[in-house]
Amino acid sequence: MSLLDALRVVGLASQAEMALVRRDAVAGALLAQAARAAEGTPAGPLLSEAARLERAEPGREAVRQAALSLCRMGLQEAQADALGHPAGGVP
Amino acid sequence: MSGRLLGQEASVLEAAGADVGALGEIESWARRAVVVPAGTPIVDAHVHLGVDRDGHMLSAPDLVADLDANAIDAAVAFPADEPGAGGDFRDANRRVIEAAAQYPDRIVPFCRLDPRCLPEAAMAEASDAGARGLKLHPVAQRFRPESDECIDVVRAATDLGWPVLFHAGFGARPLGPAFAGLIEAVPDCRIILAHGGRGDHRAVAAATAGHPGLLFDSSIASLPDLVSVAPERLAFGTDRPYGDYAQALHLVGTAARVAGWDTAAMGAVLAGNLLRWIGPVAP
Repeated sequence: MSLLDALRVVGLASQAEMALVRRDAVAGALLAQAARAAEGTPAGPLLSEAARLERAEPGREAVRQAALSLCRMGLQEAQADALGHPAGGVP
Repeated sequence: MSGRLLGQEASVLEAAGADVGALGEIESWARRAVVVPAGTPIVDAHVHLGVDRDGHMLSAPDLVADLDANAIDAAVAFPADEPGAGGDFRDANRRVIEAAAQYPDRIVPFCRLDPRCLPEAAMAEASDAGARGLKLHPVAQRFRPESDECIDVVRAATDLGWPVLFHAGFGARPLGPAFAGLIEAVPDCRIILAHGGRGDHRAVAAATAGHPGLLFDSSIASLPDLVSVAPERLAFGTDRPYGDYAQALHLVGTAARVAGWDTAAMGAVLAGNLLRWIGPVAP
């Protein structure tokens, strides 16, 4: 992933993380955007699953927390990529 | 499906339509990010027990089940934000200390206080009952780390030989001058800044760089913050029930990959740095 692409995912995933923390209804849309931006990267499956979960049952606490965990892991992978250390494999 | 995934009841996630098989694979992958020799201890520096005002909750049996499921040896635990009618956390502290007595080789009890609410009496009671450290939350309890009340509490904790773990995550106030002021007032204090000092990492890391008694915990921290400090200043943490073990292990594993920590450094982050301060898990 180029630095530009990695930073795009970092920005989107960071916004999604805070929306999930704040229980904001925009979280689902932000996760979907982040997942699309991360397609084909190690962060992609994490953010895709987070988006799928949040879409399935938004507002349910266990779902929100699981989506938050996945979102944070996706963010961590995108940050590592931006710092020049992409993962060797994807989940 | 029974058990937990990403810290949540798997059956609840399954009922909500989650692909629990995929989540299980992701969780296993995340745990594999941490590469250490077998038997390397892992101690979580940051867990809340009880029922928080915001609805988050964790019981001692559920914590121990989480520790077992994730091969975590032990956790430092303190109350959620439940100060009680008197505002002094005494009942919540008592419950955490009782939980630690029930699981002495798994839970290390810290007490929690409001520096403006009879802290001397609450700290004495907690100390007598077996507390081994202090948790303070300047945002939830609305005080400043450099205030006279907080300095008095940190000085008293230091006299007891306790480390003091501060919330240092989301919050509006600058943290650099605040903790520089606290350290200047109590030079021999040992401070753990939670969440990697995420609320103001660059400033607080610079302001405290020369102080030997400072650790950042990794709970819900930001990767760039963790890789910008030496591993001997880090302690693994989750902030359960706000965080979970898969994400927390993935974070420190990814930090090790980015920063190039060797297994000795990783062992220090996972437990060694914290145990040097609190001693063996079982008293």
